[in-house]
Amino acid sequence: MSVFMDLNLSFCADKSRLRSLIETAAHLGFSTVAVNYTFEPTAKKKQEIPAPMPITDLMDQLPVVQGRSRPIRVLNRLTVVMSDSSHFRPTAPEYRRFDLLAVQPTSEKLFHVACMTLDIDIICITVTEKLPFFFKRAPINGAVERGVMFEVSYAAAIRDATMRRYTIANATSLMETCKGKNVILSSAAEKPLELRGPYDITNLGLLFGLSDGDSKEAVSSTCRSAVLHAETRWTASGIIRTTKTCSVTPIQQEAPPEESDAPAAKKAKLEDE
Amino acid sequence: MRREDETDETSVFRRVVLKNASPYHYMKICLVLDDESTKLSAVDLKLFILTGLKNLFGEVGAAISFDLLKYDEDTLSGLLRVPSRSLVKLWSSLTLLGFYQNQACAFRVLQVSPYLLSLTGNSRELKLD
Repeated sequence: MSVFMDLNLSFCADKSRLRSLIETAAHLGFSTVAVNYTFEPTAKKKQEIPAPMPITDLMDQLPVVQGRSRPIRVLNRLTVVMSDSSHFRPTAPEYRRFDLLAVQPTSEKLFHVACMTLDIDIICITVTEKLPFFFKRAPINGAVERGVMFEVSYAAAIRDATMRRYTIANATSLMETCKGKNVILSSAAEKPLELRGPYDITNLGLLFGLSDGDSKEAVSSTCRSAVLHAETRWTASGIIRTTKTCSVTPIQQEAPPEESDAPAAKKAKLEDE
Repeated sequence: MRREDETDETSVFRRVVLKNASPYHYMKICLVLDDESTKLSAVDLKLFILTGLKNLFGEVGAAISFDLLKYDEDTLSGLLRVPSRSLVKLWSSLTLLGFYQNQACAFRVLQVSPYLLSLTGNSRELKLD
């Protein structure tokens, strides 16, 4: 079984609050969390894509995950709220600083584009308002085939009764179309008290119309697939990765390795030939 | 469903086989409040949970007969007993409860089990090396 993940903790400039958010997530048993930076481009003026804050700035020592004795893993994620197809620039170098890329489409056309063509990991489903369009089978099947995940976040449902109605309605209509495949459940929490434990979310998934198995996968293995999908995005077919080396000085020669058993045996073999 | 081991009269052990799913589930819960000095009696807690059930599932939800078996006012933690078929409803209503008298709160479900005895220990609190 893979570990639990929460791929959406809202970023806030208040460092102590973000710190307590991550600590609470670790205490609840999440092994990986992603800090989410929302970017909402407007037509009027050009805006800067936010730069992720390195986690070392935030805390010196990462909190230990409950029951695992291992420190929590913190990723960075960018969510682009799309109201126009030009808002997502696939080649933007700013995007490379984030571990995960998500878009939140606001119209049916953009949803189709996001599902079929955009190079992203996660598509956020609107939960704060009534869905402006119906989910169609074709784009959703395309997204499932490409390994793009659909995300339903539940913090809005905790905050407000009306939002709860929309969350449940939009989530069930998604589940009807995608049949529980490629769905992740995440928090989008701004405060520690809006976070819930992984098993609570699994149970909540049942309310959204997921099956028992899919519901548990929505907080564990599907999230892992999303993270792996993100890792392969910058590689050639998931095999080759290129990085720029900054240093001009020649790499320091490593000290000659001490002769251990295995290399010695290999050497002997080579001499025989 | 239990059956006495008839073949061995001297045996003091008895084999217990549950053929049906167990009738109840037990939950160990803890309420976390924003303002930690707030006091909450057992009656308040039950009423609060009941309001949450009614908000989410209406009168059908409010008709779920759950019991608060044990409650500690200092730590705000308690034990709930709920019929197994209503577990999902009760649990999801606990998950979606976010406010107690206009202050943020959260229910932490610590353990869930069909057997009350299982709630005596918690493997997640063990220190692993």
